[in-house]
Parts: sequence; structure tokens; C-alpha cells
Amino acid sequence: MPVPDAKEKWSGRIQTVTIGATPAEGGTRGRTVTIGGQSGIPLLGFDGEMPCVPAIAIDVCDKPPLDWPKPLAEVYGDVWSDPAAWAKRAKELGADLINLRLASTHPDEGDASPAQAVETVKTVLKAVDLPLVIWGCDVPEKDQQVMPKVAEAAEGENCLLGAVTEGAYRTLAAAALAYKHKLITLAPCDINKSKQVNILVSDTGFPLTDVVIYPTTASLGYGMEYVYSILERGRLAALSGDRLMAQPVILDVGYETWRSKEARSGDEAAEALGPAHLRGPAWEAVTATDYLQGGADVLVLRHPKAVEVVRNWIKEFFV
Amino acid sequence: MIIFSERINGMYRDVRGAIAECNKTIVHDLLKEQLVGGADVIDINIGPTKGDAVGNFVWLSQTVAEVTDKPLSLDSAKANLLVEVVPKVRQALPKTRLVINSCTAAADYMDKLIPLAVANGTGMIGLTMDQEGVPGNVEKRVECGATFLMRALEAGVPIEDIYIDPIILPIHAAPKQQMNAVEAIRQLAIVNDPPPQFIVGLSNVSQKCPYHKLLNRTFLVMCMAAGLTAAILDAADTDLMDAVITAEVLQGKQLYSDDYIKAWKMQKGLA
Repeated sequence: MPVPDAKEKWSGRIQTVTIGATPAEGGTRGRTVTIGGQSGIPLLGFDGEMPCVPAIAIDVCDKPPLDWPKPLAEVYGDVWSDPAAWAKRAKELGADLINLRLASTHPDEGDASPAQAVETVKTVLKAVDLPLVIWGCDVPEKDQQVMPKVAEAAEGENCLLGAVTEGAYRTLAAAALAYKHKLITLAPCDINKSKQVNILVSDTGFPLTDVVIYPTTASLGYGMEYVYSILERGRLAALSGDRLMAQPVILDVGYETWRSKEARSGDEAAEALGPAHLRGPAWEAVTATDYLQGGADVLVLRHPKAVEVVRNWIKEFFV
Repeated sequence: MIIFSERINGMYRDVRGAIAECNKTIVHDLLKEQLVGGADVIDINIGPTKGDAVGNFVWLSQTVAEVTDKPLSLDSAKANLLVEVVPKVRQALPKTRLVINSCTAAADYMDKLIPLAVANGTGMIGLTMDQEGVPGNVEKRVECGATFLMRALEAGVPIEDIYIDPIILPIHAAPKQQMNAVEAIRQLAIVNDPPPQFIVGLSNVSQKCPYHKLLNRTFLVMCMAAGLTAAILDAADTDLMDAVITAEVLQGKQLYSDDYIKAWKMQKGLA
């Protein structure tokens, strides 16, 4: 009996997005990172091309995180009061991108001024030559003050700025457009809203070819399958020709993983769950590699062991 | 849905007048409305125009092609006219994709028009009728549709360029034939894998009815649920086009978003 040909004919393709700019391109980065470009289902080599490999971003915060558990404190504790030193550590650990969180601008977390945020961004840009992903504090009123200044200060560096939502998109989209950055569109765990935010952003005149989708993230054991199915549905829509869903996807795996009790609890839970120094990184790595199979393009990670596993996984299956 | 514009048709008095006077502006203005509405293919029918039918057909096709490079559907019930017109339009517009509209499942029609389609690289619309006329039931429609489909496929017309038209009759004249056409689409959709395209001449259903627009859009959605993939309609009827888009979303062919109508237009480069 002949084996039926399961190859799909897709009319659409994921667009490519390049983050960062070298001196020749008007920036100061040592290299750029390009994501997306798939013309078929993830990892089905016969189905389409995967011209770019997924990128790994490593978290850097602009203030010492109070809630990071011991396995992370052991890696970053000596640098986490200095974003420049922290960014250098992230580069040493193999990051493709620095994922800079301007957490201190949050009104309840220090309420740092736009000027202070600008200084942080400049410091990090000077410290490492990796492209930057930059997030505000997730309070729209404050982000609308901070992010336009940050976008201006980083003009030419072609950063990826996060994130616009259905309720707040005009200010950041205008800033990203004016200073030529890429933009993250965010709709929490809702693919229909995800498309809607892209429509709204496009309405402002911001090109959808410069957008990266953030569907939010859930870690293993905490609803990961919901986000995974959103990745699948979005990818199928895009491959079927929906240009409003043809953007690459960023997932915040480190943040979500290290909120889970499996990753956070220490060796008091070792009898039931295994030793803490392995458990958290494993939880993070398994979450990340599962999402790679759904088509994730940028993974934000924290623990070096997870970075190593994900890097090897990418080498094994993508390169 | 593949939207065939019905408006460049000499049955309309303005188009008939434009052909008689060689007035391109009238045609161009009508065409722009159809394109803005979302037309993918322009159906061209000279209607009961006086004078040189072949010359009029070629003139109308070229006039349309001055504004758009969308495919043209060359529409006539006269096989002999199509035999003359298709090579001339092909020669005048070598890069334009063409569809022959239409051929029946009668042997003499298929013998003339299927080789014509193959020789000129065109798609084809096949009517589910033969020399005995329009069937009054589902079975004969399916039989005619399958006969045409097999002949066209064997001759080498690609499946995606074969359109089956189950023939829509006016509701006031033939009130049982609407559901027969819908059922014929449903049955013919499983004759071949992948299925061919299915198309209706939508406005036939509501001829001489005061509520023709409501009848058109309601019937179109019913046909879509049965597997319709194309329709000849007035793309400038925004309520009708909104119904098409909404039905596609409800069929899961488009991913829902709150502004799904706008999203559809953005995808088509219309918004």
C-alpha cells in the first residue's frame, strides 16, 4: 500500500523580523538577530522552510529582584544590583538578546523616572553589544511616560519594545514608529484579541512586518497547553494566508517557570520533587522546548542550565 | 470565497450603453466600485448588445484590463461565440488569467469548450445541465456535474480552476430548485478529493423580487454552508459582502477578531 503524501501546500508564511542594528546599519550592536520566516509547520522539514533558528533572550532587571529563588540567586546575585554587569553575565551565558525589564519604573517598585530608565538603557547598551528587548513595568500610564523616552534614547539600535495591548497601544506604537524600533503586541491567552491588537496597531500606521506577538506564557503544569494551542492556531492561520497573524512569537518562559512551586520550592520538597538545583532548570527547559515545537521564535530564559539545554535542542533540531 | 463581479454585464442598461458608445469611463467607474468591494474575478458579459459580438467582447475585456490585472471570466451561453472570443482575448491579454463561463455537460458543448480551455490555459465553469435542459432534481444535477468534472480533469484542467455551477433559478418561478442546488453542491463536494470550486450566479435567485438583496445574501450563506467557494455577485453590495465575510468567520476559514470585517479588507489590501 502506498504511503499517502502528507505534505501540505501553504499559501502564507511567517514574516521575518530583525532585532538590533550594527554600526553599518546605524546602531552599535555587534550582530543582529533575525527570527521567523517559516513556511510550514514547526519542525516538519518536508512541509516548509525554517530559515531562522529560535533566539534565546536572557532576563536582566534594572533592580535586584526580590523574589528570585536560590538557584537563580546563585547565578545572578553578585551582579543583580548592576544592570551592566548583569547584561555582561547574560552574554557570557550565551544569550542572543538581552531581555531588559524596567521593573523599577513601577509606581510600587521604586517609581523610577523616565530619565533614570533612559540611563539604565544607555548603560546596558554600552555594556554589551547584543540586541535588546525592552519592557516597561506593565502599568500603562507609567509606560506611556517612560517608553517613548527610552525609544528615543535607543534610536538607531532597532530594539524590540514591549508591549502594546488592546487598551493601550497608541503611545508606544507611535514611539516605536518614530524611532524605528520593533514592537511587541500583547493579548493575554486570547488569539482573537491577539489579531485585534494587530489590527489596531496597524491602524496607527505601524507596519505589521515590524511586530512580534506575545500571547503571554504559561509554564508546564499551569495551563501550558492553552498557550501551546494558541501558538498552533496562530501558526495555522498565518500559513493559510492570514497576514494579521503572520508575526513571529516571543514567550516569557523564565518568568512563568520561576513562579511555579515546582521551580521555586527548595530542598525541603526534594523527597517528592527532586533536588532544587536541578528541578527549576529542568522545569524551565521542558517548558521552553515544548514551546519550540509549537513554533516559538524568541524564548526569554533565566537559568544557565535551561539555556544550555534549549541551545542544544535548537542545534539538534533546527540547525 | 472567490468573488466574481457580476456588474460588467450588458444586461445592465449602463453597461450596454457603454459598449454601444465605446465609453470606457462608465465601465471603469463601475469596475472600481467592484474592486473596492472585494471582487477577485471580473465576469464579462456583453448581454444583448447590438453589432459585432466578438469585437464588443474583446473591447470590454481590454477596457476592464486597463484598470485591473485580476482574472476575467468570459461569460456567454453561446459556445460558438466563446470559441471565437477566447483566443482573441488570450492574444490581446496574454498575461491575464481567464475563466470560460460557461459549458454544460452536453457532449457537443464539452467537445468544443474543454479543448478551448486547455489550449488557452483557462479555468472553466461547468453547468449541471445537459442537452435536456436544467434538471428539476438533485440527482441529475450531480450526474451532470460529475460528468463535466471528469471530462475537464481528464483533459488536464487543474482541479482548482474547475468551477461547478448547480444552476440557480428564481425563487418565484421555481421554488424547489434552490434547495436542490444546495444539496447538489453538498453531494458533488465529495465526488473528488480535493473538490472542485463551486459557484452560483447569485442574483438569479431574486430576479424580479422587491427584497432581492435580502434574498441574495440569505441564499448565499446557505450555499456557503453546503460548500460553495465562489459566487458571481454584486461586490458593491456591502451588506452582501459583510454576510460573505461573516459566514467565512463562522466557518472557521478566517480567524475571528472583533474587527473581523476590517481584518478581511486589510488582507485584501482594501483597508
